[in-house]
Amino acid sequence: MTDDLPRTQLLKAEHLTRHFKIGGTLSRRTLHAVDDVSFAIGEREIVALAGESGSGKSTIARMLAQVYKPTSGEVFFEGKPLSSMTSRQEKLRYSGLVPMVFQDPFSSINPVFRVQHGVLRCLKLHRPSLSAAQRLEEAARVFEVVGLNPDMLQRFPYELSGGQRQRVGFAQALAMRPKLILADEPVSMLDVSIRIGLLNLMAKLRDEEGASILYITHDIASARYVADRLIVMYAGHIAETGPIEDVLSHPRHPYTQLLLSAVPDPRAPLSVAAETDRGEPPRVIDPAPGCLFRWRCPLAIDTCAQVTPVLAELRPAAPAGGSGGVVPPGKHLAACHVAQTSPEEVKAFS
Amino acid sequence: MLEVSGLTVDYVLDRGNVRAVDDVSFTVGRGEFLGIVGESGCGKSTLLFAVAQLLAPPAAVAAGTVTFEGTNLVGLTDEQLSAMRWRDMSLVMQSAMNALNPVTSIGAQFKDAMRAHGKFTGEEIAARSAEVLTMVGIDPVHLRSYPHQLSGGMRQRSMIAMAMLFTPDLIIMDEPTSALDVVAQRSLMVQIKELQLEFGFAVIFVTHDMSLISHFSDRLMVMYAGQVAEFGATKSIFDRPLHPYTKGLLEAFPSIRGPRVPLKGIPGNPPDLSRVPSGCRFRPRCPYAIDKCAELTPELYPLDGDLVRCLRRADGSLAS
Repeated sequence: MTDDLPRTQLLKAEHLTRHFKIGGTLSRRTLHAVDDVSFAIGEREIVALAGESGSGKSTIARMLAQVYKPTSGEVFFEGKPLSSMTSRQEKLRYSGLVPMVFQDPFSSINPVFRVQHGVLRCLKLHRPSLSAAQRLEEAARVFEVVGLNPDMLQRFPYELSGGQRQRVGFAQALAMRPKLILADEPVSMLDVSIRIGLLNLMAKLRDEEGASILYITHDIASARYVADRLIVMYAGHIAETGPIEDVLSHPRHPYTQLLLSAVPDPRAPLSVAAETDRGEPPRVIDPAPGCLFRWRCPLAIDTCAQVTPVLAELRPAAPAGGSGGVVPPGKHLAACHVAQTSPEEVKAFS
Repeated sequence: MLEVSGLTVDYVLDRGNVRAVDDVSFTVGRGEFLGIVGESGCGKSTLLFAVAQLLAPPAAVAAGTVTFEGTNLVGLTDEQLSAMRWRDMSLVMQSAMNALNPVTSIGAQFKDAMRAHGKFTGEEIAARSAEVLTMVGIDPVHLRSYPHQLSGGMRQRSMIAMAMLFTPDLIIMDEPTSALDVVAQRSLMVQIKELQLEFGFAVIFVTHDMSLISHFSDRLMVMYAGQVAEFGATKSIFDRPLHPYTKGLLEAFPSIRGPRVPLKGIPGNPPDLSRVPSGCRFRPRCPYAIDKCAELTPELYPLDGDLVRCLRRADGSLAS
């Protein structure tokens, strides 16, 4: 079920699942945060992971960062399973190659040290061959790459604005010469006028530094702006995935359609589709088989209540404009019984 | 109905006063939907708190008046304000997670609000509580629910229900949707608008997300560094933004439709209000700034029915 990308595959997740026990010691209830999720990330690509809060986006990032151990399933990095990395050295190498950038730039940098502290520590830990002078040189270089004046290394976090702090977060990640940066909502706490600068920085890191980025967001418009591929999560499952322009221009899963119809867009007339939908989150505590979106889905059929839909490739919709010659890299998949069986595109929300 | 005139709010600090809201004037008519947008630290929340007379030290109104239905609220005592609060004017806070009391049921909190502002029997309270909850589309059984048993969207809806207990003339909303997902956010906005059309209350809606209110507000006020940068009809601002800041804000949003174009955003950062630049406050970030912008302090100039604080727009040297 993984994409066979033309690019070299960097990381692959197979049937990744994470359950949490909830309630007291006697409780048998299980929250299915992530259920049977498979995807791949290639080299030099930005993959956007989108979905509402509670859909399992951050849980996936934490499993990739080895903060959580998967309940079942496996993550392969450069072909090697994460569960086989047991030595401190291997784990250290992995966390250097796959660093994380956090949502809140105000609490993720230690306030009592100058900002160089974090960058230099990363360098000392992950690139021990560098001398002290080389570490300072490298810190200045990564600061320049992320658009900060190297003088800022001497500043304290409180002297920096939110946008600058988030750049420090990326500089720290970059110092470790990462292959894949896990960015969990890196711009959602920032003001609108400076968000774009950070998104442009992410694109630059991909194009010039060759890093891949897993961009976790609930903002589809910003995902479209920087990402190459999109994964839409719903209730711990992947609802739809594919090249981002493909998914956004021909959303096949009803949830993706609902999500797109609700994005506020002053340039488009008000969409009425989302009015009837309250946006109530689904139940993921001990879910029974069946599609978890079916209560909100106007297209639901009997099968949806009995069989959990799996991700499958869709028959390509009739190409708009009739050119049809260009096949974009990566496949367009959706976990929806209706979309998989109908020959044509079905609109539940528009 | 509401007339704010020359309102100025200072934070009185040891190192000197910081002017968070500087000479802001506007009016809100009955049944009107006024949107206020700006970045964090532009003074929009302070302005709301000043209008509702909820400022706490070190913030204090330094000048100006807030006239609500003929009464100047500035300088009234808490007792005098209490008679008006919630009955005529209510407030919906940013995060319902923090605004609702987590240890009492929704119904008990409704009862509290009604008891504090009037004399009612238990039945009247129960009937009215169930009525307002139904209005926002929540089953009245949830009066017995505690906040943690409701979803984020439902909590925010019950806050709005609570604000409507006395059918006030004005409801002030401070980013009520910012903690919600896009689908819940859109649904809540549509509902606020429907309730407004049905009951005719006026809304002052503060947000940092311009695109959110583009379809809902009648007039729009764009704030920058404590001042009004632009003020006019929502449609004309979206169609033809006059202030370079408004233009920059509108161009900072990527779209999910149309071609993918590279965006630049607005360079630099919003100014520290204790050290505002000379002349025009937006000058250091403005792509159109000229020498004059540093020397002269712009006022709000009327232009094509809107108000704009830009020297180059006022003298016509900057064409749209």
